[in-house]
Amino acid sequence: MIKDITLGQFFPGSSFIHKLDPRAKIVITLCFIVALFLCKNFFSLGLLFVSALVAIALSKISFKVILKGLKMIVILVVFTGILQIVYNDEGTVLWKPFEQFGFQITTGGVFSAVFIIVRIIALILFSSLLTYTTSPTALADAIERLLSPLKIFKVNVNSLSMMMTIALRFIPTLIEEIDIIMSAQKARGADLETGTLTQRAKALVPVFIPLIVSSFRRAYELAFAMECRCYTGDNKRTRMKEMKLGIRDYIAFGVLLLLVAVVVYTSFFNTFSFFIFQQVI
Amino acid sequence: MENKHLLDFQNVFYTYDEEDKDSFAVKDISFTVDKGEYVVILGHNGSGKSTIAKLSNSIFVPSEGKVFVDGMDTADEKNEFKIREKVGVVFQNPDNQIVASIVEEDVAFGPENLGIPPKTIRERVDNALKAVGMYDYRLHETHRLSGGQKQRVAIAGMIAMLPECIVFDEPTAMLDPRGRREVINTARKLNSEGMSIVLITHFMEEAVFADKVIVVDGGRILAEGTPREIFSKTEMLISCGLDVPDTVKLSLLLKEKGVPIEGLPLTEEELTEEYLRILNL
Ligand SMILES: Nc1ncnc2c1ncn2[C@@H]1O[C@H](COP(=O)(O)OP(=O)(O)O)[C@@H](O)[C@H]1O
Ligand SMILES: [Mg+2]
Repeated sequence: MIKDITLGQFFPGSSFIHKLDPRAKIVITLCFIVALFLCKNFFSLGLLFVSALVAIALSKISFKVILKGLKMIVILVVFTGILQIVYNDEGTVLWKPFEQFGFQITTGGVFSAVFIIVRIIALILFSSLLTYTTSPTALADAIERLLSPLKIFKVNVNSLSMMMTIALRFIPTLIEEIDIIMSAQKARGADLETGTLTQRAKALVPVFIPLIVSSFRRAYELAFAMECRCYTGDNKRTRMKEMKLGIRDYIAFGVLLLLVAVVVYTSFFNTFSFFIFQQVI
Repeated sequence: MENKHLLDFQNVFYTYDEEDKDSFAVKDISFTVDKGEYVVILGHNGSGKSTIAKLSNSIFVPSEGKVFVDGMDTADEKNEFKIREKVGVVFQNPDNQIVASIVEEDVAFGPENLGIPPKTIRERVDNALKAVGMYDYRLHETHRLSGGQKQRVAIAGMIAMLPECIVFDEPTAMLDPRGRREVINTARKLNSEGMSIVLITHFMEEAVFADKVIVVDGGRILAEGTPREIFSKTEMLISCGLDVPDTVKLSLLLKEKGVPIEGLPLTEEELTEEYLRILNL
């Protein structure tokens, strides 16, 4: 079950989204997230949500994968929705199930619940698209390039990016190893699933000790393998895949700019009085 | 002009413990590997095989004695890169020598460290992947490959450095029979194309194709010779915890029972031929 995590996974492809410069993708994703938090009405939220869907369609990633990624946040979404309904008392009252506690469901509560749920889903959809369509190495390289101004503060950006590449590379390997160790301990009679929280936490110690020991051995061996391939830590490395902003990236930036403009205008300067333009949050 | 060996160990000692100079992991090792040669090193666990592998490309530097790669002293730091380009090492655990999450990005790691232009890296990576039969998998995720495939990716990572010799340190120890065949066949194919191969193993069947077999025990070289010479010394092999291939065992047993087998058939084909010859008499 631990292997079913699709978040952070990469699906190779050659779609428009795959071919975008990874730096552009990171910047666009960050701007999109900011836009999501700036937007205050259903019109701009809907616009952002639809753009996320269009981006997914362009990426040609199967919808099943996307839904699987969303499954992990169902609880979070439901919980946030309920909180909004419970605590928001604005608007007209729709229903008073427990009047003696002063509990009521209002239009304001329902609207803000829907708003926040859509916002979270759009956030997850768009940001998981970044990792779905960008290889971990490309992601690390792009972050390295984006952070390269930090070099003037003597931050070793190259090593940071190498650490990230290796960390991302070993996540699946370590997850697999946790599975194996857990099975091995269960076979020896370890009880990992019942008992109080502290008991269960204690039962995990025999899982993590072997994991840590083996991680150190992996690191020791990987260091030799990297040395064999002429890595020294301060190589002047070149890259097989050069990062170059192209026409696609400018188009994507253009669309993003338009979206942000609409979101900011309708959220802060709007003079319309239609429902979907009214500020929800 | 002096005859330069590709790999030349001259009375090499190595200790992991600088304090206790007597605890050598490798003692007085001398051997050579020439261009295009296929050398197999046999020895059971702890006999110093991995230490020899790491001494061969300047990962370790001899405590005493000298190792030369194409005439370059491995103790001389300024030769480090050239030596590691010439002699690559493939280690036992396929998981712990893959750096990147995507096959082609991992193969590109070595050439990227050398600071080669992107176009050349692309060519080298494609050629290396084709050489090990993994070109179709170039966009796959490394952690989803089988053990044999991972090991072939690791080999491709070395080939992309354009080495003249690849040292395999028990490359098949963690693989299933199919993975073992894949890796050994790849090594033999590379050898037939002119690459020098040093194969460290404790599978006797993998030694029969060698030009030269070296047996190590307790850090020392016990015997050196053609596979036929080595496998005829059955008692010596058994005394240092090794075995002989099943075909050799069978022919020795038949000889003992009075079957007039001539010489020492090493492979199944040779044994079948010899048996047919006897039957025709
Ligand atoms: N990192 C190390 N630190 C100390 N001793 C080591 C280390 N690696 C290997 N040795 C010792 O060196 C000897 C040879 O080991 P090794 O070269 O790994 O043998 P092999 O590969 O044939 O199993 C063994 O006695 C082993 O205990
Ligand atoms: Mg070893």
